[in-house]
Amino acid sequence: MSNDRFSRQSFLGRDSEERISRCMVGLAGLGGGGSHIVQQLAHIGFQRFVIYDGDVVENSNLNRLVGATSVDVAAETPKLLIAKRMIFSLQPHARVRGFAGRWQDNPEPLRECQIVFGCVDGYRGRHELEVICRRYLMHYIDIGMDVHGDNPPVIGGQVILSSPGHPCMRCMGFLTDEKITEEAKKYGKAGVRPQVVWPNGVLASTAVGLAVDLVTGWTRRPLSHVYLSYDGNRGTMKDSITLRNLNLVCPHYSESDVGDPVAAEL
Amino acid sequence: MVQIRMTGSLYERIKTDLARPHPFAAERVGFAFGRIGTLAEEGRLVLLTRYHSIPDDQYIEDERVGARIGSDALTWAMQAVYHGRPSREGIFHVHVHPHAGRTGMSRTDAREIPRLMPGFQSVGREAAHGIIILSRDHGAGWVWLPARKEPVEAHAISVIGKPLGFFEKGAAR
Repeated sequence: MSNDRFSRQSFLGRDSEERISRCMVGLAGLGGGGSHIVQQLAHIGFQRFVIYDGDVVENSNLNRLVGATSVDVAAETPKLLIAKRMIFSLQPHARVRGFAGRWQDNPEPLRECQIVFGCVDGYRGRHELEVICRRYLMHYIDIGMDVHGDNPPVIGGQVILSSPGHPCMRCMGFLTDEKITEEAKKYGKAGVRPQVVWPNGVLASTAVGLAVDLVTGWTRRPLSHVYLSYDGNRGTMKDSITLRNLNLVCPHYSESDVGDPVAAEL
Repeated sequence: MVQIRMTGSLYERIKTDLARPHPFAAERVGFAFGRIGTLAEEGRLVLLTRYHSIPDDQYIEDERVGARIGSDALTWAMQAVYHGRPSREGIFHVHVHPHAGRTGMSRTDAREIPRLMPGFQSVGREAAHGIIILSRDHGAGWVWLPARKEPVEAHAISVIGKPLGFFEKGAAR
């Protein structure tokens, strides 16, 4: 299998090509963030994908959806197809299981992954992805961006790694019941969320870098949890301040609470 | 298709425990516990939850095999299966073959260890039980699913740590 296609990334390790090609990755959401991630994973050599998105390409997506063209707007091409097109153009022998819908409607294929990328809107969606990743022992990498205020507008974002047996997104101070409740109250009133291509690119690239490190171990540094906070105005990515005084033992997910839920016998 | 999955920290705990020399046995064995997850197309995922190290004094001297455990260890295992019934937690006999690359059951393994499974299945009927053999950098597993008399060889064992481990059946590494 080894050839000069991957010669520029040989520093990732002698068997990195094989490790990468065998890893199954899942993506929930193939929009601004997910389309970047899919593209990069395919370039690097990932071959096994489980991907979900139920939307079609709209005109307002063209400012950031990697791989989409004006023709796709007219054709109402599913974002799933854009992602598949990207993967197969780079990895013709890839094994892609794609679903034009929510992962919650077809969760079993996702459970087969070793790494899941969450590229979804909202705290509830992130929470649900983390729950399935903990229950079926998968690394979860979350990315997201937002724009606040207008004097000047402030671009913020995050890249988070939540791994079974280590601090979760609640431990790291990203998810709280208040945030989820507040979001539910605003359901349907969120309006148009500002999204642009370059912060998505920064966040997606950082997430892919984490995944490659998880698969190959090339940095040789321990990696139990990550919460990087992105400041898009300054162009910086730093450890979140909420990681200070972090409890390394997660009280929210038990290591024994895994597998299919079992009804308690009363 | 059946897969086995565990966290990196559990994998390290197992490898570390089984690498310790025993006063007289040539190798160590242990018990891991796992629960079932459903995959697409009737596939099954066995998710390991914890590991039990067998105390030194529960081994029996027997020069014909690398390690033999006594009735105390087996009684403990049966009780653990019994207590795991509400959560459908099954038990997996684990040991290490000290070489690199793919591994499998030795003749002795194939003769001795599967004999334990009917007993585990009779107590924990709704759980999956089995055998896991690890090498230095690979592994293999056999899973007796509920109500099945014959095992299924696991398609892969995944270690969800850093780096990720993915020990696929038929793959050298």
